[in-house]
Amino acid sequence: MKMKTDIEALVADLQPVRPVEPRGGALLAIAAAAVAAAVVIAWQGLRPDIVAGNPHPMVMMREGMLLVLGFASLAAVVASARPGVGQSSGGWRWALAAASLFPLTSIVLSVASGSVPEEDLYSVNGPWCLGISLGSGMLIGAVLTLWLRRGAPTALNRIGWLVGLTAGSFGTFAYGLHCVSITVYFVGFWYAGAIGLSALIGRLVVPRLIRW
Amino acid sequence: MKTDEASLQRLMALAQQGDGVAYRTVLTACQRWLLRYFSGRIVAAQVDDLVQDTLASLHAKRASYDPTRPFLPWLAAIARYRWVDQLRRTYRQREDELHDELVGDDHEESIAARISLDRLLGYLPERQAHVIRLVKIDGHSVAEAALRSGQSEPLVKVNIHRGLKKLAALIESE
Repeated sequence: MKMKTDIEALVADLQPVRPVEPRGGALLAIAAAAVAAAVVIAWQGLRPDIVAGNPHPMVMMREGMLLVLGFASLAAVVASARPGVGQSSGGWRWALAAASLFPLTSIVLSVASGSVPEEDLYSVNGPWCLGISLGSGMLIGAVLTLWLRRGAPTALNRIGWLVGLTAGSFGTFAYGLHCVSITVYFVGFWYAGAIGLSALIGRLVVPRLIRW
Repeated sequence: MKTDEASLQRLMALAQQGDGVAYRTVLTACQRWLLRYFSGRIVAAQVDDLVQDTLASLHAKRASYDPTRPFLPWLAAIARYRWVDQLRRTYRQREDELHDELVGDDHEESIAARISLDRLLGYLPERQAHVIRLVKIDGHSVAEAALRSGQSEPLVKVNIHRGLKKLAALIESE
């Protein structure tokens, strides 16, 4: 009898709702990434080779890889807002594996040459890379997290990692439009560090904000 | 009214638009489905509360249903999320008195639910699945589970904790 009453209470509380649209969440995140990129460009300036329409190959590679990683993890995040047994969205794993070639290459080259690239590790641009990437990522992650609260994500820890990964990827992409460095070491250390830190922050912060 | 997969999909789409009659039918069908689903997954005394919690979650998260896709996988995902959450909460509260009734109204359905549960627990190492069965489903205390499984009490607790964590991770991957 009590269950019947509870059902009636839920029916009485029924209001029309608009189904959660993953596309909406993706567009919001992309808009946030665009805002972050615009702020970075307005504040720090765009790389001259990009302005000239002839970007350095390393810039194209790293920015392309960051976009692929960002979009792959974003797709997994927004799909998770609509739960369903049997669904899977694992493209981000391949993108992450491909992106990890940058830090792996840095390590292999350092070991092979027997020297640590100090000019990149201790570059004055490093902390800027970290700060701007994380700052941009915070904006993107906050927008995604707010949007996710409308949905019903069920694998909270994994989604926390993925929100951080998405935010970190787009955040470093935004910084990369300005970044003066073109070495694989800088990308392998500072960019990877910013993305890893962003993913860790996502894992620690996001699950408690989207729990339901 | 028929409440097969196609009907539930159509009715839930109507409920998202505010149709109370369709919603009542959906909730009633979900309630029956959830009673079967949870029987055998947790101690019998907690089944009704868990069904209610899940229906409330369904209500709060009804916008997360995609009306172009099957309904039952969505319901199953919500049910599993609430189930694992309930197991965790129960474990955290360290309830001393757990009940050991397993059999629901329908014997065949109880067996089917048990088989499904065994399949899910099959993903866990036997030492973890065994103590989860003993404590969380059969209602034994940690001390009794330690005696029956041959594990120490701290190990039983650790294995329950790790097993539940893995089950939570399996929610979307099964």
